[in-house]
Amino acid sequence: MKTVNQRAWFFVLPVLLLVAFNALVPMMTVVNYSVQETFGDNLFFWEGLRWFEQILTSERFHAALGRQFLFTGIILLIEIPLGIIIALSMPRKGFWVPVCLVTMALPMLIPWNVVGAMWNIFTLPRLGLAGYFLNEIVGINYNMTQSPLAAWITIIVMDVWHWTSLVVLLCYAGLVSIPDAYYQAAKIDGASNWSVFRYIQLPKMKTVLTIAILLRFMDSFNIYTEPFVLTGGGPGNSTTLLSIDLVKIALGQFDLGPAAAMSLIYFAITLLVSWLFYTLMTREDDK
Amino acid sequence: MHRLAITCAALFATHPARTQGWNNVGKDDVPKGFSWTDPLFSGFWMAWTPATLAIFIGIFAAMGTLIALEIRWPGGNERQGFLGLTTTRGDRLFISLLGTVYIFLAWLGLVGQGLLWIPLILALSWATLCFWKA
Repeated sequence: MKTVNQRAWFFVLPVLLLVAFNALVPMMTVVNYSVQETFGDNLFFWEGLRWFEQILTSERFHAALGRQFLFTGIILLIEIPLGIIIALSMPRKGFWVPVCLVTMALPMLIPWNVVGAMWNIFTLPRLGLAGYFLNEIVGINYNMTQSPLAAWITIIVMDVWHWTSLVVLLCYAGLVSIPDAYYQAAKIDGASNWSVFRYIQLPKMKTVLTIAILLRFMDSFNIYTEPFVLTGGGPGNSTTLLSIDLVKIALGQFDLGPAAAMSLIYFAITLLVSWLFYTLMTREDDK
Repeated sequence: MHRLAITCAALFATHPARTQGWNNVGKDDVPKGFSWTDPLFSGFWMAWTPATLAIFIGIFAAMGTLIALEIRWPGGNERQGFLGLTTTRGDRLFISLLGTVYIFLAWLGLVGQGLLWIPLILALSWATLCFWKA
C-alpha cells in the first residue's frame, strides 16, 4: 500500500486561519445577530426565529428574490451560449490569438464600480453615447432612470459586456486542449460541424463549462456594485436585486436582525443551487 | 447664555442613564438564573448567546468527529446512496445540515413559529436517513 504523507495539510493552515478571520467569524456573528434584536451599543435582545418568519413571508423579499432569479437566469441564458459561440469562432493558432485574448480580458480588468459608472454615463439620454444615439438618432425613448424595461436592458447588457469574456476564456482553454487527432478522426468519418461540437468539443469543455456556469451563477446571484452604481435599484424598486435590498435593510434601516436572517436565507439558496448543480454535473464522472 | 447653561446641566444629568443604557430601564436588580437566550458576554459585538454557541459547538464537534473517524478509518466510507450520489461521511453531514436548514425555513415560511418540534423531528429523521442510506 502506498503511504500518504498528510503533512501537506499544514501548508493549508495559514489559509485556514485567514478564512477563519474573514469568513468564519463574521459568519458566526451573522448567525448570532439573526436571532436577536439590537438598537446599537452592542445591546442584544433575544427574538428567536421571528426574523426568519418575517423575511420568508414578506412580499418585499419575494419580489427581490424573483428579480434576482430573473436576472441570473437571463444573464446565464445569454452569456453561456454567447461565450461558447465566441470561443468556437476564435482562432486556434497564430498572430490573432493573443490579440483576441487580451481584447477579451479587458472588460474583466475594470473595477466593478467603474463599470457601473461607465455604463451610467454611456446610457444617459442626452449625455451618453448610447443614450444620445438611441434617443436622438434612432428615436426610441430610452431612459434607464425612468423606464424599468430600459433599466433592466441596461444592467443585463452591462453584465453581458463585463462577464461574457470569462466564459469565453474558460471555454477557449477547454477547446485548445483538444488534440488535432480528434478533429482529423472526425474529418475522416465525415462528421458534420454539429457532430464535432456535440461529441468532441462539448464533452471536452464540460469541466470548464461547469466552473464557468458556477462562477457566473454565484457572481450574478450576489451582484451588488454594478446595478447599485448604475440604477441604485431604481426606477422605483424595479432593479432592487437581493443584495441591494439586503444592504438597504442592514445599513439604510439599521435592522441588523432581519438583515442577518435575510443574508442567511440568501446564503442557503446560493449554497443549495451551487451544490445541486456541481453534484449533478460531476455525477457522471464518478461512475 | 442662561438657557445654554440649563441645557448643559440637563445634558450632564442624563449621563447616568446613557452610560447604563436602556437595557436597565424599568428592570429590577434581582439576579436571574442561567438562560439559554441571554447574552453570554455582555456588550461583546459578536453577540453570543448560549443557544447559538451550542449550535456551533455541535457543528464543530461533528466535524471533529469526522476527522477522528477519517484518521481511524481513512477513505471516507464512500458508497452509492439512495439519492444516486456517491457520498462520503462528510457529504452525508453536509446533506443533513443543508436539509435541516431547508426543513426549518420551509416550516417558518409556511406554518410559522409554532410547533417547532415537528420540523425538529423531520430534520432528525432526515439526518438519520442520510447517514443510514445516503
